[in-house]
Amino acid sequence: MNAIRRFFSEAFLSQKGRSAAFAAEEFVLFEIAYPLVTMIFYCLLASFSFGTVRLERWVIGNSFLLCTNACVFGTGRVFAMERYNGRLRSIIASPCNKLAVLLSNGVFPMLFALCAAVLGMLVGSVIFHADFSGVNLVLVAVAAVCAMISATGFGLLLASVCLISDSMHLILNIAAFLLMIFTGTEFPVERLSFAGQVFAWMMPLTKSVRATHLLLDGDSASYVPLVCAELLTALALVLLSFLILRFAETAARKNGRFDLF
Amino acid sequence: MLRLMTETAKLQMKQSFARPMFRFCLIANPFLNTILLYEMFLGAGEEDFFSYVVLGAGLMGLWSCICFSSAGDINRERYMGTLALVFAAPSSFQAVIYGKIIGNTLLSLFSFVVSLLTAALLFRVPVTVHAPGFFAVAFLAAVVSFIAISSVIACLLTLSRKTELYMNLLELPLALLCGFVFPVEMLPKPLQLCSALLSPTHAARLLRMSVTASPDRALFLRELAVLCVLTLLYLSGAVLLYKRIDKRVRIRATLDVA
Repeated sequence: MNAIRRFFSEAFLSQKGRSAAFAAEEFVLFEIAYPLVTMIFYCLLASFSFGTVRLERWVIGNSFLLCTNACVFGTGRVFAMERYNGRLRSIIASPCNKLAVLLSNGVFPMLFALCAAVLGMLVGSVIFHADFSGVNLVLVAVAAVCAMISATGFGLLLASVCLISDSMHLILNIAAFLLMIFTGTEFPVERLSFAGQVFAWMMPLTKSVRATHLLLDGDSASYVPLVCAELLTALALVLLSFLILRFAETAARKNGRFDLF
Repeated sequence: MLRLMTETAKLQMKQSFARPMFRFCLIANPFLNTILLYEMFLGAGEEDFFSYVVLGAGLMGLWSCICFSSAGDINRERYMGTLALVFAAPSSFQAVIYGKIIGNTLLSLFSFVVSLLTAALLFRVPVTVHAPGFFAVAFLAAVVSFIAISSVIACLLTLSRKTELYMNLLELPLALLCGFVFPVEMLPKPLQLCSALLSPTHAARLLRMSVTASPDRALFLRELAVLCVLTLLYLSGAVLLYKRIDKRVRIRATLDVA
C-alpha cells in the first residue's frame, strides 16, 4: 500500500515539476489550445489534399495524435529534465525500483493525452461536422485508452534513449513526425513501401487507429486482435525502455558520466 | 554598422547550425514534411506538387527555423548571461539583433533546398518554375518579409522569460493562418481577415503564383504591393517596439530576468 502511495506521489510530484513554471492560462494554452490547433491544421490539410469534407477518419486519427504533446514531448524529456535539474544521479544511486520511477513519470502525461484525445474528438466533430452516429463509441474509447498507453510506452522509450544522447530535441521532434507519417492517421499505411509498412506496424497508435477506422467502416471483426496488438506494442516499448535504462545505468556506473550523457 | 551586422550574421549561422534543434528545423523538418505532404497530396490525385508540397514544406521549415531560432535568440543570450552586455555595449543592440535574424533567415532558406531535393530525388516530382523572374522577385520579397516579422517577434519576446513556450505556440498557428500548405480561403472569414494582416500569407501566395504556368501580372503586383506595405509596417513596428523596450529595461533594470 505504501509503495502504491509512493508511486502516485512520485507521479504527482513529477507532473508538478513539469508544469510549475507555467501559469494556469499558459498551461491550458500549451496542453489544450495548441494540440487542438494542431488537429485543426492537419484536418484542414487533409480536407484540401484529399478533397473531402468527410473528415471523421482524420478527426479520430489526429485526436489520437494529440497524445504526441504529452507522451512524446512530456514523457520523452523526463530523464533529460532530471539530469538538467541535477536529480538524475540521486535516482540512479538510490536503491529504488527504476521501472517504477519510469512508469510513474508516465501516469499524468497519459491522463492528459487521454483528455486531449477526447477533447479533440469533441471539438473536431463540432468544427468539421464529423458524424459518429452508428459508431460504437465505447469501442472507440477503449481503442483510445490502448493508444495512449502505447504512446506513453513510446515516450518512456524516448526518455531512456535521451539518457545516451545530448540531442534530445532532435530525437523528440523526429519521433513526433514519425508518428504522423507511420501511424496511418494522415494517409493510409498501405501507401508506404513494404519496409515502411513493417515499421508502421511496429509503431504505437497504428493498430488503434486502424481499429477505429474499421469501426467507422462498420467492421468490428478485426477490432479485438488490433487492440490486443496495441497493448502488446505498449508492453514491448516499456520493456525496451527499461532495458535501455539498465544499459545506460550500467554504462554510467562504469564511466561515471551519467550527468553528461 | 554593416560590418557589425555581417559579422553577427556569420557568427549566428555557425551558432545556429551547432544546435541540434536548428538542424532538425533546417534538415529533418523539411525532409519529413515533404514526405508527409507528398503522401497526403498523392491521395487526391494532385498534380501540382511543387506549389503545395515543395513550397509548403519549404515555408514550414523556414518558419520553424525562425520560431526556434530568431525568436529565441534573445532568450538564449539571457540564458548565457550575455544579453545585458550585448544590450549595453556601444554597438547598436538593434543592429546585432538584425544581424542575428538575417543570418538565421539566410541559413533557413536551405530548408527549401532540402524540400526540393527530397521531392525531386525521392518522388521524382518535376521541378519547373514557369516564371523565373516572378519567382526571384517573390522569393526576395518573402525573405525580407520573414526578416521583418522575425524582428517584431524577437522584440516582443525580449520581455518574456517564457520564450520557449511562445516559440512552440507560434509555429503551427501561423502556418495555419498563412496558408503554407492549403489556401487561406478554406478558413472561416474572420480568420481570413487575420491572415490578410500577416505578411507570410502574401509571401506564400506570391511564391505559389510565380511557379504556375501563367502568373497574372496584375494580381502578382497587387500581392507584392500588399506584402511590401505590411513588411514596412512590421519594420516600423519593430523599431518603435525596440525604443519602448529599451526605455523600459533601462528604467526597471530587469533585462536579465525579463
